[in-house]
Amino acid sequence: MTALAPEVTDLHAVVEEVWTTFVGAEEPLCPRHVPAGTPLDQAVWSGAVSVTGAWHGAVTVELADQVAQTISRVMLDLDSTADLADDDVADAVGELVNMIGGNVKSLMPGPSTLSLPAVAAGRAVFASDAHEVARLDLLWTGEPVRVTVHCPGSPS
Amino acid sequence: MKILIADDSRVMRQIVIRTLRQAGHGGHELVEAENGKVAFDLVQSEAPDLVLSDWNMPEMSGIDCLSALRAAGSQVPFGFVTSEGSEDMRKRAEAAGAAFLIAKPFTPEAFDEALRTVL
Repeated sequence: MTALAPEVTDLHAVVEEVWTTFVGAEEPLCPRHVPAGTPLDQAVWSGAVSVTGAWHGAVTVELADQVAQTISRVMLDLDSTADLADDDVADAVGELVNMIGGNVKSLMPGPSTLSLPAVAAGRAVFASDAHEVARLDLLWTGEPVRVTVHCPGSPS
Repeated sequence: MKILIADDSRVMRQIVIRTLRQAGHGGHELVEAENGKVAFDLVQSEAPDLVLSDWNMPEMSGIDCLSALRAAGSQVPFGFVTSEGSEDMRKRAEAAGAAFLIAKPFTPEAFDEALRTVL
């Protein structure tokens, strides 16, 4: 079975819209040209949501630690001197993946249900029956941002 | 005017409050709830004039909160602010008695347009 997947251009448009609305457009999201499977070789935060129903899939966002800290401050309207707790970063990363996942869900056949976000200080890991169907590798302020969509089933 | 904002994300509650201000609705009294159950209870105790609610929340979802409010006889104007803006979700929201659904990401203009339908 070949999994139905969102177009990468649609995924990019969703990520751009969410990012510019809630993080800002002063610093652009730029393409990061790396081969598929290239690990994020630094400390990251990750967030994941799953969609179940007429379409099954998972959407993850992985952010370099510095990116996660910065966008959390922007989203919470905190200046660079204010204390930022791990809970705040987890909340911001969770909301980011929730918005991206919710919009991806709207691109796919419905009806389906979106899960609550799960957030970790570390890389996202998937069950062995899930495979990547769409991936965006981006740079923001020179630091990596990765958005992936995984589906159950065999790779096409 | 009193507005109840229900979202399990403190970040999103902050963004909603900021966006209300940017949309020219900054003068209202605001009450916050972290899930649908707390929102349901606060509608009874705080008597808000409008509820702005996320859809997906732990304990009780926004749609379950709206259904419970209507079943309890409350006719408080209720609008969703959610990442899920598909036609299916909009129909479900309308059928449950929601006045509007604002999809994330949103703009101050989208907030102003939606709020003008109930204020």
